[in-house]
Amino acid sequence: MTRILPTATALAVALSLAGPAAAEKPIWGIQVEQLEYRIGDETDVAAWDFDALYGSDELKLVFRSEAEYAVQERGFETLENQIRLQTPISDFFDAVVGFRADTPRGPSRYSAVIGLHGLAQQWFEIDADLFLSDKPSIRLEAEYEGLITNRIILVPSIEVNLPLVDDHEVGVGAFGPTVEVGLRLSYDLVDRLISPYVGVHYERAFGETANLARREGEDAGAFFVVIGTRILF
Amino acid sequence: MRIVSQTARALALGLTAAACLAGAVSAGEYHLTVDKITIDTGEFTRSGVGFNGTSPGPELRFQEGEDVVIHVTNNLSETTSIHWHGLILPYQQDGVPGITYDGIAPGETFTYRFPIKQSGTYWYHSHSDFQEPDGAYGALILEPKAPKPYSYDREYVVQLADAHPHHGSRIMRNLKMMPDYYNRKQRTLMDFFSDAKDKGLGAAWSDRKDWGEMRMMPTDIEDLQGFTPVINGKGPAQNWTGLFKPGERVRLRFINSSAMTYFDVRIPGLQMTVVQADGNNVQPVVVDEFRIAVAETYDVIVQPQEDKAYTVFAESMGRTAYASGTLAPRDGMVGAIPDMRTAPLLTMADMGGAHGGHGGMDHSQHGAMTESKSVEMDHSKMDHAQHGAMADAKPAEMDHSKMGHSQHQAEAPPNPYYADGSGLSPTAANGGKFLHYGDLKAQKPLYPVRAPTREIEMRLTGNMERYMWSINGIKYADADPIRLTYGERVRFKFVNETMMTHPMHLHGMWSILDTGQGQWNPIKHVVSVSPGTTIYMETEVDAPGKWAFHCHLSYHADSGMFRKVIVEGGPSDKQAAIPTTATGG
Amino acid sequence: MRKSHISTLAISMTAAAALLVAGSALAAGKQDHHHGHGGAADIGKAGKASAATRTVTITMHDNYYEPKGMTFKEGETVRFVIHNKGEFVHEFTIATAEMHKSHAPAMQMMVEHGVLEPDRINWEAAKQMQAKMGHGMHDEPNSALLEPGKSAEIVWTFPKHAALEFACNVPGHYESGMVGKIKLSH
Repeated sequence: MTRILPTATALAVALSLAGPAAAEKPIWGIQVEQLEYRIGDETDVAAWDFDALYGSDELKLVFRSEAEYAVQERGFETLENQIRLQTPISDFFDAVVGFRADTPRGPSRYSAVIGLHGLAQQWFEIDADLFLSDKPSIRLEAEYEGLITNRIILVPSIEVNLPLVDDHEVGVGAFGPTVEVGLRLSYDLVDRLISPYVGVHYERAFGETANLARREGEDAGAFFVVIGTRILF
Repeated sequence: MRIVSQTARALALGLTAAACLAGAVSAGEYHLTVDKITIDTGEFTRSGVGFNGTSPGPELRFQEGEDVVIHVTNNLSETTSIHWHGLILPYQQDGVPGITYDGIAPGETFTYRFPIKQSGTYWYHSHSDFQEPDGAYGALILEPKAPKPYSYDREYVVQLADAHPHHGSRIMRNLKMMPDYYNRKQRTLMDFFSDAKDKGLGAAWSDRKDWGEMRMMPTDIEDLQGFTPVINGKGPAQNWTGLFKPGERVRLRFINSSAMTYFDVRIPGLQMTVVQADGNNVQPVVVDEFRIAVAETYDVIVQPQEDKAYTVFAESMGRTAYASGTLAPRDGMVGAIPDMRTAPLLTMADMGGAHGGHGGMDHSQHGAMTESKSVEMDHSKMDHAQHGAMADAKPAEMDHSKMGHSQHQAEAPPNPYYADGSGLSPTAANGGKFLHYGDLKAQKPLYPVRAPTREIEMRLTGNMERYMWSINGIKYADADPIRLTYGERVRFKFVNETMMTHPMHLHGMWSILDTGQGQWNPIKHVVSVSPGTTIYMETEVDAPGKWAFHCHLSYHADSGMFRKVIVEGGPSDKQAAIPTTATGG
Repeated sequence: MRKSHISTLAISMTAAAALLVAGSALAAGKQDHHHGHGGAADIGKAGKASAATRTVTITMHDNYYEPKGMTFKEGETVRFVIHNKGEFVHEFTIATAEMHKSHAPAMQMMVEHGVLEPDRINWEAAKQMQAKMGHGMHDEPNSALLEPGKSAEIVWTFPKHAALEFACNVPGHYESGMVGKIKLSH
């Protein structure tokens, strides 16, 4: 974490230099995609996934945080914070550079991020990130907002993490992907500010990563029923 | 043009002398405060900004020829301003912070001084941040010197607005975070099923696919929904009422002070005679319904004959809400409230300019191009234009020529001010006459017709997904000012490359909309440009100084569809040197 | 001069009249000429100038008249001298409110056929329209359609009882107030 701070400061300086012209007010907000409780067979998980952003049309500073807290074990299975700089490169896509700190229970990992964030044809929201360090990995995320009605929204999502090298310490093997798929049915309760949802979440490891899990006596896959809320402010 | 401008010049030369001789020029002194207030639409209450403690602010009435002195005191904790929308005045009095002055700091009083050189229905509003959407607007009526070319027994201001429960700054932020934050008219799975049932699964799927490829929404007509339309500050439940005696002629001064919303206005049971648009008299035209763009004004005369309540009904263009009020012989009456019509959907024709060069869009581009050309062609017939445009616009009516009744416009051809095949082109609820720009003819031309000295293209551009709006692809923050030279006549070419409708407003100088009618082209201050269309307006550059030129949709203007205009040269006294003559009333 | 004016007026009025269904709403002075809708109102008839008991000057402005209203005696014959001092074409027609209303679409047609321009009457278009419609020439004695700066005269004998208006049926003008009441007193 300590290594992150100076970087963040540098980024903030860069942002203010390249930031909004005097006439334009800064854009800021918090988008919480997931704030949920996952009820599983063996363990329950509290999870969040949010972006807090500040900046302009041209350049945004994004703080992205994702976490999975194992309730029974009382520890973070995942705790991942990123500082990302995002700038448009086409009508619908932004290029991203940034830093990621993984500080769950167990060993910490730090990496640089380069990626793409945007809206693909047919309204798929896409994140594609390459995490650069001595333990590089790739992550692809896609999400779709399916409007059942204008307030009842069904969101299927998929996230694939693909480690490019072994990192047995944290339980991943080279080219052994983990896949998370979700289906969340939300209702816009207060504008789009609060949209509670119920849904299902399934995650599964493949290849070497799955093997590592099994060796640890864990399941390669886990299924959860989730309840939570989206927040947009 | 004839006597008019000569007289005007003579008047201008001897303005002081004339004033002394006639003794008619008065100097009215007025006081306004800008206050934090509470807005109550009947559906919600919230804090807002008003003038003299109210929203809308007081109806200001000035006399043509009067020199007004207006003291504006800022009781807010932020900078404010008042812009006199549509008024021809020295630029320092125009009230646009960052362009014409610094604005009015908290606790300070700014004194506006300017002569009233025109007449008609106008309005005033804050030009600072989102104070106008937050309630800082009011009606401004300029009484003419000359007799009006119409008569009426009583009159009412009908000021429309889209009061929103969210503050403007919050709305802007939400739109930036999520452009469809306020769009609750999006097509859903349910709509898909119903489309599949109507058109077949294949067609419904392919339609969804086409829009999805563009990442655009056919429902993207009102960016901002969830508002309560108000008439003079009153929501439908509060029922603004104007009284009349049966048989009286009633003048209604419609002003659209909305931040974002166009309205389709009708009064079931009454025909409306449009006598003025944007403060300038037009040759009267009888209509059943009209669309009022944001920041436009239309004055109509109605003559309710029956002893009953008539509903003034204004549906938003996207049919997400309606304003209603009542014309009644007695207080407390309520007319029948019609159902809102089905919400329109944009078509590929409206997308014509939106994504040029995009794969798979050849058909739609073709439609839009054809339309642009046909509009341009109409305009090329300048020399015999008075009836040319009309005749062209209404070929279908020839067949109905033997009909003795007035509803024969039922099968009127498409409105030429929308893309061919547009989903937005309006029709009257009763099948009657729906006003369009081609129907507006100046009652008295302000300027002689002459060839423009040059053309300036303004492509209206944007990116809905980023909620960025711009002109020629450049946002205000990054743009150089538009430099004009005093004395020239500039032809502005608006090419709408977005899927939204933009009401373009030039401060300080008139916008002569080219409808192909030569000297009768209407003189406006707001020109609405529909998606996928190209239209032209001409401006006699007769006002030195610095002016604003922008889309009047608040959140488009704020996000960059805005320009500074600098008029170089001209009289050193910084007064508009070719004073325009009053045409309104 | 007056002669030529009348003949050109006749053309324009023909063009208008040609468009009317089942006889002209302007077909005045023919009391016995009954129409489908409960019969034409008795609005009076063309009079002889020699019988006129008085001359009234009517001034057309944009878009109103001076005077704004008039009172005559029942059966009186009046000579109207009408001047168009406006910048637009205007009409002076004596008829009932209903007749004015039914006349309006014909005037709208004239605008749409290019006969009636804002500030002039397009005689070429009028002839074309007449040729197309194939109606013969006839004059309407209760009406004058005047270009800016032009004048005309009408001599009219009023009936005993009638609710009459003088009005301009150029589209939009009636509605915006270019209409006045004619009262007939005992």
